[in-house]
Amino acid sequence: MSTVTLNKVCKIFGEGELAVFALRDVDLEINAGDFVCLSGPSGSGKTTLLNMIGGLDRASSGEITVNDQRVDKLNKGDLAEMRLRNIGFVFQAYNLIPVLSARENVEFVMQLQGIATEVRHQKAIDILKEVGLSGLEDRSPSELSGGQQQRVAVARALVSEPALILADEPTANLDSVTAENLMDLLRSLNDEHGITFVISTHDKLVMSHARRLLKMHDGKIVDDIQQR
Amino acid sequence: MSIVLRLAWRNLWRNRRRTWLTAGAIAFSTILLVGWVPIQFGAYDIMINATLRVFPGHAQIQRPGYQDKQKIRNTINNAESLATSLRGSNPLYTGISVRAQGFVLLSSGTRSYGAQVVGVEPKHEGGTSSIPGQVKEGRYLSSIDAQEIVIGRALARNLKLKVGDEVTLLGGGKDGSVAAAILPVVGIFKSGSNDLDRFFSEIPLHTFQNIFSMGSSAHTIVIVGKSVDEQTKLISALNNAISDRSDVIVLGWEALIPGMKEAIKIDKVSGFIFLGILIAIVIFSILNTFLMSILERTREFGLMLALGSRPKRIAGLMMLESALLTMIGLVIGFVIGTALVYWAHVEGMHYPGVEELAEQFNLPDMSRIYPQMKIFNFLLGPITIFVATNIAAWIPILRIRKLEPVEAMRTI
Amino acid sequence: MKGQSLSLLTTLGWRNLWRHPRRTFVILFAIILGVWFMIISAGMMIGIVEQQLKDTIFNLTGHAQIHHKKFRDDPAIEHSMSAPSKELLAVLNSNEVKKWSSRIRLPAVVTSERESRGVTLLGIDPAREQGLSFIGKPVVAGRALESIDDKGIIIGRRMAEKLETRIGKRIVLMMQDKNNEVADRGFRIVGLYQAELEATELAYVFVGLKTAQKLLDIGNELSEISLLTDSRKDLESLVTSLRVAAPDLESMSWQELEPLVVLTMEFYEAFMIYWYFIIFAAMGIGLTNTMLMAVFERTREIGLFQALGMRPSYIVGQVLMETLILLIIGVALGNLLGWFTTDVILANGIDLSAFAKGTEQFNMSSTMMLTLRTNDLMQINILVILLGLLASLYPAIKAARYIPVEAITRT
Repeated sequence: MSTVTLNKVCKIFGEGELAVFALRDVDLEINAGDFVCLSGPSGSGKTTLLNMIGGLDRASSGEITVNDQRVDKLNKGDLAEMRLRNIGFVFQAYNLIPVLSARENVEFVMQLQGIATEVRHQKAIDILKEVGLSGLEDRSPSELSGGQQQRVAVARALVSEPALILADEPTANLDSVTAENLMDLLRSLNDEHGITFVISTHDKLVMSHARRLLKMHDGKIVDDIQQR
Repeated sequence: MSIVLRLAWRNLWRNRRRTWLTAGAIAFSTILLVGWVPIQFGAYDIMINATLRVFPGHAQIQRPGYQDKQKIRNTINNAESLATSLRGSNPLYTGISVRAQGFVLLSSGTRSYGAQVVGVEPKHEGGTSSIPGQVKEGRYLSSIDAQEIVIGRALARNLKLKVGDEVTLLGGGKDGSVAAAILPVVGIFKSGSNDLDRFFSEIPLHTFQNIFSMGSSAHTIVIVGKSVDEQTKLISALNNAISDRSDVIVLGWEALIPGMKEAIKIDKVSGFIFLGILIAIVIFSILNTFLMSILERTREFGLMLALGSRPKRIAGLMMLESALLTMIGLVIGFVIGTALVYWAHVEGMHYPGVEELAEQFNLPDMSRIYPQMKIFNFLLGPITIFVATNIAAWIPILRIRKLEPVEAMRTI
Repeated sequence: MKGQSLSLLTTLGWRNLWRHPRRTFVILFAIILGVWFMIISAGMMIGIVEQQLKDTIFNLTGHAQIHHKKFRDDPAIEHSMSAPSKELLAVLNSNEVKKWSSRIRLPAVVTSERESRGVTLLGIDPAREQGLSFIGKPVVAGRALESIDDKGIIIGRRMAEKLETRIGKRIVLMMQDKNNEVADRGFRIVGLYQAELEATELAYVFVGLKTAQKLLDIGNELSEISLLTDSRKDLESLVTSLRVAAPDLESMSWQELEPLVVLTMEFYEAFMIYWYFIIFAAMGIGLTNTMLMAVFERTREIGLFQALGMRPSYIVGQVLMETLILLIIGVALGNLLGWFTTDVILANGIDLSAFAKGTEQFNMSSTMMLTLRTNDLMQINILVILLGLLASLYPAIKAARYIPVEAITRT
């Protein structure tokens, strides 16, 4: 059973003479538990593809199914609901809400989901421990290093127990040691919790950690390699 | 110079929404100010002109001390000849009439009431008072020695009198003798002023002088000019005219109705205070816009400084921008405000409830208010707003001078 | 579910306000100033009318009056009423009525050695007028009337000046008696009273009730009965009882007796609402602008919210909550400042004695007392909060309409 299915998905920016095909007729199937990397040069469409899957942007044509739901047919409210329940995001930067502490950031999604105070308190602390940030729960984002911020983002993405975590160039702002540590964390989470990961990157380090590598060029998937 | 201007102008439009919102706030306050002052002053004018025009006139010539204590003995000799000499001698005077006044007991068959009786020159009284034109039943007095009386509507009702009925006057003459007469009511007037309609009656001057043994003397000469604006000229002209006589003085309307001037002053002062506070609120309201727009562009300023611009130059550019922004708001507000005032000028403004209130305060019908169109009125508001807003805008601008380029560029 | 999110929105709203303290303080100040101004304006305008109302009631009108059916239209001696019947007395002496008194009130002419004036004569019961009307207050010179048989007369201080007379001197009162004859009698001035308005002092002269009745030869007849209750509101049931007890007489509440004051009050109350809107417009634009700026600079963050699954309605809610907190603080402080100004600084009113003649023109006393009613405060507070939320609706909806991908990638 596939978690994510794309069928003839196109995304066009601009009109007429200025039209740009960010995605051309993309077909793709991602299975549960997969650890996928999207790689390619700038403009290849990897971020756009990620956005399509996560419902952050709408396709110009084609069908997108996530967890048996037709993402392309959902309205704004339902998309938000889907993201809340099924998808976790880790961005390149600006992942955290500045006015909330690390713990509160992690609790954020749980609060939206309506989970009781005691429960989410505990879960947040536990998950922060799991990503190696015990003791830093009450720090605000401005008091955390880049790598620590990314870990909080990962913790938050995890804690809502999504089917899918999407990460857009998560190591772009990190030095190589921190990046390595982050990728190890992600792989171990994938191994232990079975969460599907889709990561876009042009960092060779990240690509080397992938179990499945999708190479993109000019809006199309040109290579699909199974690694490790 | 024009490059700086163009730069400032374009900078304004980088953030359209904010520019429009701020200009809107400024326009709003401008409309208030531009509209308020002419209308407020216009209302005063109406109030004054209307009240004076009903009975008191713009000025009166009396014997000293008469205004305070209206003693029937305090008379002006040969009042009519003085009035005649004034008539037509100066284009400032549009109406001159002689009056004599006294207190009497009026009795109809079944009722008696105390009232004022005024002896008037029927031919000239219309030029100084609106009462002759406000006779609602019957007619006004016919000649200067006719045996007739007109009374106010409320007084007529209290005395249960109709046109044609006879009323008895009983009072004290100038020489202390009893003054008495029986006169037919030929007309009933409604001036709109409570006091006048309830307590006033008018009879021809010579009839009055006869009844009250006044000879050819009277109590006041009433003068009406073209408008209250010409008051000073009017008073000095009158003072000149009577300079050869030592027995009379000229009283302007401020002395005749002292309450009115003060009432207007209170209203003006409170009006200014209110508007001032309102403007202050607007300014605080838009202060953030100016603050934020400077703050947002810190990085840009850092860049400009690094490239060699001087802080003063940058500050100057900002001041120009805020001046332009203010101007936009002012111009829009001015145009709309002036249009509103002009429309009110042409149409008059109608206020529900004003009629009843005006009657209570002894003011005649003011249901239509015409704004006063004077340049000063129009410009005072906008200028104030311009100055105040720009001063507010400069507070954040002055911090630009302290900027360090590198730090500035590091700001997010 | 809602409860959780509400506390989340509140936390976010509160902390977001303090990201830019200076900005928050500036708009807060605008709100405080605006609310304070609304309260002060209301205090003044309502204060003026309240004063007028109180004065009118205390100025011989009372809360209700009973008189002959034709008396109001034509206040002449033939429209006198007889002494109160048993039924009427029962109502008058019941618990609902705090004070009541009988009076003669008729037009007269008063003449001193030098001057004559038209006045209204009041024949009163001095003991009962205390607390009922202004004549129950002590006189400023001489003595008050002591009984209904008192043979003296009390006139206004300024009336004495106009008549060029003083305490101890005689003045003559001329009136129309029952037989349509002019009755006149000399009275000695035993006291001078002072009223707020000069017009009052020049209008009324007071003698003992029985003295007046004898002078007019009307036995026990009266012109009117005036009464006072605990409050000037809710007089309908009392007036109805009076009407039932005395069906041949006319009973009227003060609202019917003085419709003009009621009109003035209604006029001002309507005007106040317009004025509130104007003041709000002054600060409203700043509010919208500030929230717009806040939303704009947090575009990326809002994109993050959307990515994390926050529904559009919650995003609207977040902005509104932020505004709500701001408004509540502003309104609270504005109220505090307003209360302080009216009840502490201006507790004794605004002194306008320098403009005494002007205030006289408007039937105002020379001290302007400010009056704040709970109703007015509620009106102001609710209006500001509702309109304030409305003003921030535009920025809030804009925020919710962001397209996530655009919002996130905005630099």
